[in-house]
Amino acid sequence: MEKVGILIEFKDDKIKKTNYGVITLARQQGCELYALVLNGNAAACKEQLQQYGIKKVIDIASKEGPLQWHPVKWARAVVAAMDHFGITTLCGLTSAQGKELLPRIAADLDAPLVMDCTDVVLNERAAKKSQFSGKTVATIKVNGNHFIFGIRPNAIEKQPDPCEAEVIPFQTTVDKEALVVKEIKLQTHTGIDLTEADIIISGGRGMQKPENFAILFECAQVIGAAVGASRAAVDAGWAPHSMQVGQTGATVSPKVYIACGISGSVQHFAGMKTAGLIVAVNTDPEANITKNCDYYIVADLFEIVPILSRQLKLVVGENHLT
Amino acid sequence: MSVYFTIKSILVVLGLLGSFGFFFIRSCRLIQLMTRMLGSNTIPLDRLSERVKIFFKEVMLQSRVREKRFPGLAHTLIFFGFIAVMPHTIEIMLAGIFPGFSFASIAPGTYRLYAFLADILALLVLLGLAYCVYRRLILKPKYLTNGLDSRLILLFTAIIIVSFFSVNAFRIALNQQTLQDLTRYYVISNPIAGFLGLEHLTRQELIIGLEASYWIHLAVILYFLVYIPGSKHLHILAAIPNVILAPLETPKPMVKTDLEDDTIESFGLGKIDELNWQNVLNLYACTECGRCEEQCPADMTGKPLSPKAVVVDMKDDLIQQSSGNEDTIKPIVRDGSPITEDVIWSCTTCRACESICPLHIQHLDFILEIRKSLVMMESRFPEELQETFTNLEYQFNPWGFAPETRAQWCRGLDVALMSDHPEARILYFVGCAGSFDERGKTVARAIVNLLKKADLDFAILGPEERCTGDAARRAGNEYLAQQLIQANWETINSYRPAKILTGCPHCYNTLKNEYPQFGAMPEVLHHTDFFADLIQNKRLKPNGNLEEIITVHDSCYLCRWNDMIDAPRKILDSIVGLQIREMDRIGRKGLCCGAGGSRMFMEEKIGKRINLERVQEVVATNAETIVAACPFCNTMLNDGVKETASAIAVKDIAEILDLATDSS
Repeated sequence: MEKVGILIEFKDDKIKKTNYGVITLARQQGCELYALVLNGNAAACKEQLQQYGIKKVIDIASKEGPLQWHPVKWARAVVAAMDHFGITTLCGLTSAQGKELLPRIAADLDAPLVMDCTDVVLNERAAKKSQFSGKTVATIKVNGNHFIFGIRPNAIEKQPDPCEAEVIPFQTTVDKEALVVKEIKLQTHTGIDLTEADIIISGGRGMQKPENFAILFECAQVIGAAVGASRAAVDAGWAPHSMQVGQTGATVSPKVYIACGISGSVQHFAGMKTAGLIVAVNTDPEANITKNCDYYIVADLFEIVPILSRQLKLVVGENHLT
Repeated sequence: MSVYFTIKSILVVLGLLGSFGFFFIRSCRLIQLMTRMLGSNTIPLDRLSERVKIFFKEVMLQSRVREKRFPGLAHTLIFFGFIAVMPHTIEIMLAGIFPGFSFASIAPGTYRLYAFLADILALLVLLGLAYCVYRRLILKPKYLTNGLDSRLILLFTAIIIVSFFSVNAFRIALNQQTLQDLTRYYVISNPIAGFLGLEHLTRQELIIGLEASYWIHLAVILYFLVYIPGSKHLHILAAIPNVILAPLETPKPMVKTDLEDDTIESFGLGKIDELNWQNVLNLYACTECGRCEEQCPADMTGKPLSPKAVVVDMKDDLIQQSSGNEDTIKPIVRDGSPITEDVIWSCTTCRACESICPLHIQHLDFILEIRKSLVMMESRFPEELQETFTNLEYQFNPWGFAPETRAQWCRGLDVALMSDHPEARILYFVGCAGSFDERGKTVARAIVNLLKKADLDFAILGPEERCTGDAARRAGNEYLAQQLIQANWETINSYRPAKILTGCPHCYNTLKNEYPQFGAMPEVLHHTDFFADLIQNKRLKPNGNLEEIITVHDSCYLCRWNDMIDAPRKILDSIVGLQIREMDRIGRKGLCCGAGGSRMFMEEKIGKRINLERVQEVVATNAETIVAACPFCNTMLNDGVKETASAIAVKDIAEILDLATDSS
């Protein structure tokens, strides 16, 4: 049975939900799964991982304890663990961390790497990925002794398969001469990651002042949505740049995009045009966004958004979607 | 006395030899530095008669310098006066070696005229200098480098002129033989001698005075000569060739980098030794007048870029690293260098700097080539450009819309595709904004309406059209730009239309001035010029009455890159009821909207937003409508208008003309 390592990612010490899709992919193909945890949270996440059929959680640490985030050291530690447990295939996420880590691991092992896979047939070493903005799908077959696949977040539906897991400690030595991390700068932003959100509610110039974004956050919280902003709102200083959606901000493709008080210039539209459903709230019936949305409400967003929040609360109850 | 004159002769000879020798060596080093550059450039000595004309107009008559009125006038006075005292200086240099020497004995008549003119012109130098001192000590404009260098030069010039007068005055008072019949021609020096009461001095005292004046005059001139090559006054030497060899036409393509040549190891301008000799001449020619900085939209809105500083810093880098070799020379953009990435990316490529520079320095040749190096050699560019690059590469438009949907904007308008109607005479190159931007689409529809009203045979490329490459090229991604250019060029040439009409100054400039680098092209026209011609030829007859107060925003890629200033105004003049109220900054001195040079696709994080600066100027005119002729300008102005919460409408000239023109 093929031994497959799953690189588990965390956000703020909480396991990312997107890991479960990767686990589901490998489990359904009958592989022997090893969850690789590097930040010392192996024991804490055992419960959650075993819900998805993980039987072995490898707690990778150095003599001094859990490893601080460090791409070079982490890559070497993963390679050491793969070597020790005889793992030939590694699956991770094509996330910011995955993009940093998986290529390094591939380079260390001289192994082929396919990133942003939407599906992988592990025993055939064949990965699928979409190209040309989703117009074609390429199947990429790779050869080698080890194989590294980065899976696109949310590409594979998670399916639980509860079992009993054990935590196996694995100690590795990390050399000190690798890159030195001088400083880790954290972007402060609230709520859910824009690029990973299923639903985004965005505010533009129509928000009028920064405090008014509160009504968007309130609505977003009800449905587990992320809050975005147009360039106009960011330029005005009402929202941080990390919230900006558009040509020079984040490119997003949520299932639903709700644009409040956004006129919808091409620069904004470019960043969210692949959303599944676009709903716009604007007082101007001539705004550009009317030509590029599925539903359009000619109304004051300060009336509509609170109503929307109330109605959504009724529908989903007080339980926030997770 | 004769011993003194013998010693004087020897000292003058030594002084001249030393000073001229030193000057010669330093100048040779500067020329040698120019020839050591790795970049190649031919000597542009085509169209000689035009260049001679430019020499007389701009160097001798100082026409371009005087575009800034008072400083220009002051410079002209100093320039003429300084030239006027030169023969006199040569004369007294020779007289120092050969006592009693004078040009007067060779041509007395001419000499009298010269004495008369030189005396007056020298006085005017003092007038010019007085203005300069006033400007540097009282006015102190921000753009003017006001350091020791400039003050020393003013001081030297003043001493040279003052001592010129005192030499003359003492010579008059001494009643020297050669001057006997000249006295009355010295219309300034003579009264000075009288005013100072020199006739009351003894002969001995007069000789001491004359000799003292002589030595001060000569010493300062000789020192000045040595000082020039290392100072900003190097422009005395470099300006003339720089002006004569400058490009004769305003439109110019960006440098086409040869991407096929395997032997080229570096693209763009990464290190100072990769300049070509003419770039270096540009650097030598800069006199730090700061006119470029004053006009620069980046500088005036608090960005770190000043075109003057780029030139001065490049020159400093060149001199500092001149002793290095290929391996030791450090990159231009490096830790500690004043030319930072922010400096390079702040440029909107509006060309206000080049268009105002009295010495034709081509600032953008530096900035754009440095961008190229940053992008192609090091992948260093503002991160938000990545999305644009990726979209251009795969979807052939900056926003990432599917290329096959490119003709959707004209659904229902009955517009033919070139592929269906290959014999169309006019190819309307719609551009990405016209194809995908809702605002741009309304302009594109107006252009189509007008073409139909003029009953013209045209077609568009539709899905076959790609971005012209302007955004990629000006963002330093030459490789991507060339891919787009090559593909478009092949498509266009498979149809061979008689004319290409564009609705965007960026498309226009690239197609017209840069595509010929890749092969022959049909005539390219921008819609303002095109429609102005149609009106003149009575093919379009604006008959509507638009009661509107309107102001005109000139797109940089029309007014400064292509000398097109009159066309939009001609069109507006043809429409009854329109009242044009111009802003202060128009035409060649128009202010950029902030979107050029691919800035459209970058964040403006530093300083005030340029579009806001522009729109505030628009608001001040109390116009109801601002008219532009560029999709980027339209977007930027529109954003700015929203920010100022004013009710000004932003319209494209095509929309206004369409509104005022009925179908015939």
